[in-house]
Amino acid sequence: MPKLTIDGIAVDVPAGTTVLQAAESIGIEIPRFCYHERLSIAGNCRMCLVEVKPGPPKPAASCALPVAEGMEVRTNSEMARKARRGVMEFLLINHPLDCPICDQGGECDLQDQALTFGADRSRFQESKRAVAEKNLGPLIRTAMTRCIQCTRCVRFCTEIAGVPDLGMVGRGEHAEIMPYLDGVLGSELSGNLVDVCPVGALTNGAYAYTARPWELAHTESIDVLDAVGAAIRVDTRGAQVMRVLPRLNEAVNEEWLADKSRYAIDGLKVQRLDTPWVRRDGTLKPATWAEAFDVIARRLADVPGSRIAALVGDQVDAETATVLKDLWTALGSPHLDCRQDGAALEAGARAGYVFNTTIAGIEDADAVLLIGTDPRAEAPLINARLFKRFRKGGLRVGRVGLSGRDLIYPVEDLGDDPSVLTAIAGGTHPFAEVLKAAQRPMLIVGQGALARPDGAAVLALARAIAEATGMVIEGWNGFNVLHTAAGRVGALDLGLVPGEGGRDAAGIVSGCAEGAIEAVYLVGADERDLSGLGQAFVIYQGSHGDAGAQVADVILPGAAWTEKDATYVNTEGRVQRATRAVLPPGEAREDWKIVRALAEALGHRLPLDTLAQVRARMVALAPVLGRLDTLAPAGWAPFGRAGTVAATPFAPAVTNRYMTCPITRASPTMAACVRAFLNGNEKRTGTDG
Amino acid sequence: MNIGTRLYTRLNGELVGEDAHGNRYYQSREAKTAPLYRRKRWVVYKGRVEASKVPAEWHGWLHYTCDAPLDGGARAWVQPHLPNLTGTPAASVPAGDERRGGQRPAATGDYQAWRP
Repeated sequence: MPKLTIDGIAVDVPAGTTVLQAAESIGIEIPRFCYHERLSIAGNCRMCLVEVKPGPPKPAASCALPVAEGMEVRTNSEMARKARRGVMEFLLINHPLDCPICDQGGECDLQDQALTFGADRSRFQESKRAVAEKNLGPLIRTAMTRCIQCTRCVRFCTEIAGVPDLGMVGRGEHAEIMPYLDGVLGSELSGNLVDVCPVGALTNGAYAYTARPWELAHTESIDVLDAVGAAIRVDTRGAQVMRVLPRLNEAVNEEWLADKSRYAIDGLKVQRLDTPWVRRDGTLKPATWAEAFDVIARRLADVPGSRIAALVGDQVDAETATVLKDLWTALGSPHLDCRQDGAALEAGARAGYVFNTTIAGIEDADAVLLIGTDPRAEAPLINARLFKRFRKGGLRVGRVGLSGRDLIYPVEDLGDDPSVLTAIAGGTHPFAEVLKAAQRPMLIVGQGALARPDGAAVLALARAIAEATGMVIEGWNGFNVLHTAAGRVGALDLGLVPGEGGRDAAGIVSGCAEGAIEAVYLVGADERDLSGLGQAFVIYQGSHGDAGAQVADVILPGAAWTEKDATYVNTEGRVQRATRAVLPPGEAREDWKIVRALAEALGHRLPLDTLAQVRARMVALAPVLGRLDTLAPAGWAPFGRAGTVAATPFAPAVTNRYMTCPITRASPTMAACVRAFLNGNEKRTGTDG
Repeated sequence: MNIGTRLYTRLNGELVGEDAHGNRYYQSREAKTAPLYRRKRWVVYKGRVEASKVPAEWHGWLHYTCDAPLDGGARAWVQPHLPNLTGTPAASVPAGDERRGGQRPAATGDYQAWRP
């Protein structure tokens, strides 16, 4: 533990710490551009110069200088200030003075530091250079003349996103950042480049010229467009969500955010359901809430509970699920399912449907088996964690199913045939030895492996592998289910699965077709093929006019996740709260209130009138939902159903990584991403033409 | 025109002229004007009583700026006079108003509602 003094304050920090970090630990901030806590140290902006004794009589870059015993650092001496002023003058030589038209204005490191550390005039008389714009795809807008060559973007692409496409080309005045090959940046984390760029060279393409940072109201919330539950900040102006930025959450997203979560928000402005609709004489007509409930009440007046079913969608919050569960209990209907894709998950043992290792726990793993999952498409942030673990060295990744897909780290393809799993469980496959030899082995089961008729057998097989290879030991649980639906874990915690004699998602749809189910309530359920509902009376509740609204007889307009205070449980089982940033459009209401009002219309007045009452009831149904933001290990309990696994290869759970829900399908930016990045190589969904 | 104005005009008024809109302009008869006073000038509107219906050429005369009404049609670039149309169906509405087709640039809070 070297001892040093910084500005006269004695500090004691571990060896290997840099002077900049040591200064930060006692609250002295040294200006910097190229240094970023999560990236490697480049030391090329020279803004962090400080005076150091003993040493050569010149300033030293504190970000790249390890501390040494007896070092005497002065961050604010005449020498340091003069050096910084000189560096700033050099940086501004080629930086255009276009702050008034730059999107970074108001949140720009260069702007702030030029004000604090720069000179008040320039001595530069010559012409400034100009740099051609680069095409980085529809998400990132470039203005490369503003670039100060800090290389944060290059290091981010290489070290975090795992796509080493960007580089600095040329020398001296001619140095510029560019993709090595012409073409868009093929990363699903590319939006973070906007955050790491300290100037306005890389800015948010979808948000360009729409707002200034000081106009925006900030709301801290949770992302629901995948099941990772990344911490986000929703920036709004008036009634509109202008942009989404990541928040710091070391356990989940560190400080990154997937592109889909960041850019799909323009889908919140289109295809919105803003008034109830009722089908009269074969066509949908706008109606009032009272009329809509009246139509439902009269239609369901003499329908027994056993002939009413509910399908729960992917983004349904835990509050709505609670009220729905109570309503279905009151109706006496066992037909209730939250697994609209048909995944063979059970509501019983929590360890059987969550990501037990935890996302941060991935960093301790040393062997990974991917079963029917493509984490890059299903959960980019979890894939980034796996890549982070891979970069530390000594990680082996095997994959069964979906072989050939490019993850950003090397993967051993063990075959597409699910029977490989039987061999691994039996210990006859070579990869079983890898898992057994590992100290902390883990496996990840994707929804693609579970959403098939023999899903329960696959789940049981995965459990057998976990037990046979020592994945479940004291202090470590390597069995993981990777969800794609943000509301799924919460709904499973609350037990939104078929009751005694109840029908599952497939059974509900076929029951509608053959007339056994007379009415079906789709709560945000759009992902299933709903064309076969036959003569059933369909009530759809949701925020967007998507597949469900097309087939509905009554549409109840709900709220999107930015428009309600709601609880979501991520794939790890972490309970988090989303906060309302704007109000739902038009007549739309928060979802739990709609279900509560519907219950009253059906003659079952539930004692749930306030959000507090609903949350109390939610915790009573599932005590685990009462513990916010913390994780407790789930007990290892039996789950899965042993059986034979068919030889059909696993189908991908996400066929189009940019369009996975009604919001993303409505988003023009996501449509642009599909055109730019997927280029027709991945199967498109029905709604994008 | 109320009964008082009608009676007063009958008794005292001398017709000076009529403008393109049919408004009639009067001044008091010389005989009825006291020697040291100027001759009173007034207008009898055709239809609704609305001061902005008076065109510029008569406005000057009515306010004693000139002795005779100006020649309104003398120059080709003079636009025909329009009264204040506020409150009428022809009132000015901004572009983007429903009565002008509802086409306006996007603004904060706009959303596109779903239609079946």
